Amino acid sequence: MIEISNVRAKYPGGEGLDMINLSVKPGEFVYLIGPSGAGKSSVLKLIYMDIFPQSGYVKVDGYNSLTIKKRQIPYLRRRLGIIFQDFKLLTDRTVYDNVAFSLHVTNTRRQEIKRRVLRVLAEVGLSHLRSKMSFELSGGEQQRVAIARALVNEPIILLADEITGNLDPASEEEIVDLLEKINAKGTAILMATHDDRLVRGRNRKIVKIIKGRTL
Amino acid sequence: MFSGIIYSIAEGLRGLRRARFSTTVSVFTIFLSLIIIAFFLIVIFNVRFIVLQIQSRMELEAFIDASFSEEQIEILKSQIEDLQGIEQVNYISKEKAAEIFREQVGHDIFEILDENPLPASFQIRLKPEYRSAALAKQVFENILSLDGIDEIIYRHDLLVLLEKYMHIFMLIIASLGGLLALSSIILVSNTIKLVIFSRRKIIEIMKLVGATRGFIRRPYIVEGIFQGFFGGGLAALFVYFVLKIVNIEIPDLILIDQRIYWVLVLLGIIFGFMGSIIALRKFLRY
Ligand SMILES: Nc1ncnc2c1ncn2[C@@H]1O[C@H](COP(=O)(O)OP(=O)(O)OP(=O)(O)O)[C@@H](O)[C@H]1O
Ligand SMILES: [Mg+2]
Repeated sequence: MIEISNVRAKYPGGEGLDMINLSVKPGEFVYLIGPSGAGKSSVLKLIYMDIFPQSGYVKVDGYNSLTIKKRQIPYLRRRLGIIFQDFKLLTDRTVYDNVAFSLHVTNTRRQEIKRRVLRVLAEVGLSHLRSKMSFELSGGEQQRVAIARALVNEPIILLADEITGNLDPASEEEIVDLLEKINAKGTAILMATHDDRLVRGRNRKIVKIIKGRTL
Repeated sequence: MFSGIIYSIAEGLRGLRRARFSTTVSVFTIFLSLIIIAFFLIVIFNVRFIVLQIQSRMELEAFIDASFSEEQIEILKSQIEDLQGIEQVNYISKEKAAEIFREQVGHDIFEILDENPLPASFQIRLKPEYRSAALAKQVFENILSLDGIDEIIYRHDLLVLLEKYMHIFMLIIASLGGLLALSSIILVSNTIKLVIFSRRKIIEIMKLVGATRGFIRRPYIVEGIFQGFFGGGLAALFVYFVLKIVNIEIPDLILIDQRIYWVLVLLGIIFGFMGSIIALRKFLRY
């Protein structure tokens, strides 16, 4: 489903990725672990095609980095759910509107938007907060709004970039449990983190990355 | 698709509210430049009208060989009429010429001379599209080459001069107008850039959740068009009322083509559209 093969992708400054090999199969839960600056975020950018390889290729759900056209990239991204450490919520809107936003952007009908937003809010346990403004929520709740927004397009995979970085241990635990639950329903997950505590005790596929190279 | 367009318009208006100050500034700039451009257009329209009037009064006078008989003159007349660019040919006989002389000079020509020295002639008017110096000269030469035409009087030099000044005048006005248009477009584009900058976060999220390039850009284009529309509309209203007042004070001083109001609104919209396209090209490459 996702295949990154022998990719080298350097930024103009000379930093970046050297040799990346990674694959995610449908329904898999993969941890991408490495120290700060190793290139985890860059690997995720390769997948949502924000950056492109100088050599090697990236295949995502039938799209190939070698052949994809610029105007196809939005359609690729609708197949992905992307979540970040800093949530990236719209602070001037309610929880409901934040989640509905990704459906508005893809020209979904109002009725359909309502049905899907309410369902996904229930899934992440936020139904009761749907009319609150997003800045009124705790960090853990905000991250769950971000997860709901990522899920509402029914992606084939969630790309999670250090998403527990800003959270206290209890919220962190909750979020990881939520991801486990989502994964159990069949959505694949690729989770980037520098914190290998998160993986301990969970029997998951792990890909290690150091200095732009996967091991 | 339909909900997408409504979304674009709503977001465009939202952006206008957000950048209220710079929006006001750029609407006002469009308004001012369009007023000046409107002034230019009216001046050009009126100057052109005067020039056309002068051109239409410039008739050719072609003198006929004295040995030509009435019949030959009749044939000559139809030959001239058949030439390209001729609107009307009037025959002025020797007697008629003497009469005109008497009217204009106040003395009978026969008081001075025994014989009428005035030649018979044709007064020739050109079709409007042949009244430029270059084309008139061609017609002039065609007539002169006809058998039986001795001489033609025609103020060609005056026409050339008139056209030359008209061209210089138009060139100056057009460059000033162009400069004004350019500055309006740049101001609109700066306003839109500000709006885009203030909304970079929402744009980033749009890209992440799979909004197409057109979807992201449309609200800003709508916004530019709104700015231009308001600026143009205000300018049209302003010009309308000013002309109304002037026409009450001094009727018939200024000629106006009623289409000018639509031209102003349209120009405003074009300025706004161009401004937003430029802002997007620099700021939202995607
Ligand atoms: N846009 C960019 N331009 C230039 N260099 C960049 C850019 N983004 C990242 N880098 C560099 O590439 C390297 C990898 O960055 P990346 O963000 O992928 O690391 P990371 O593993 O996600 O780190 P962290 O855990 O701190 O988020 C770093 O050295 C970084 O400085
Ligand atoms: Mg990172």
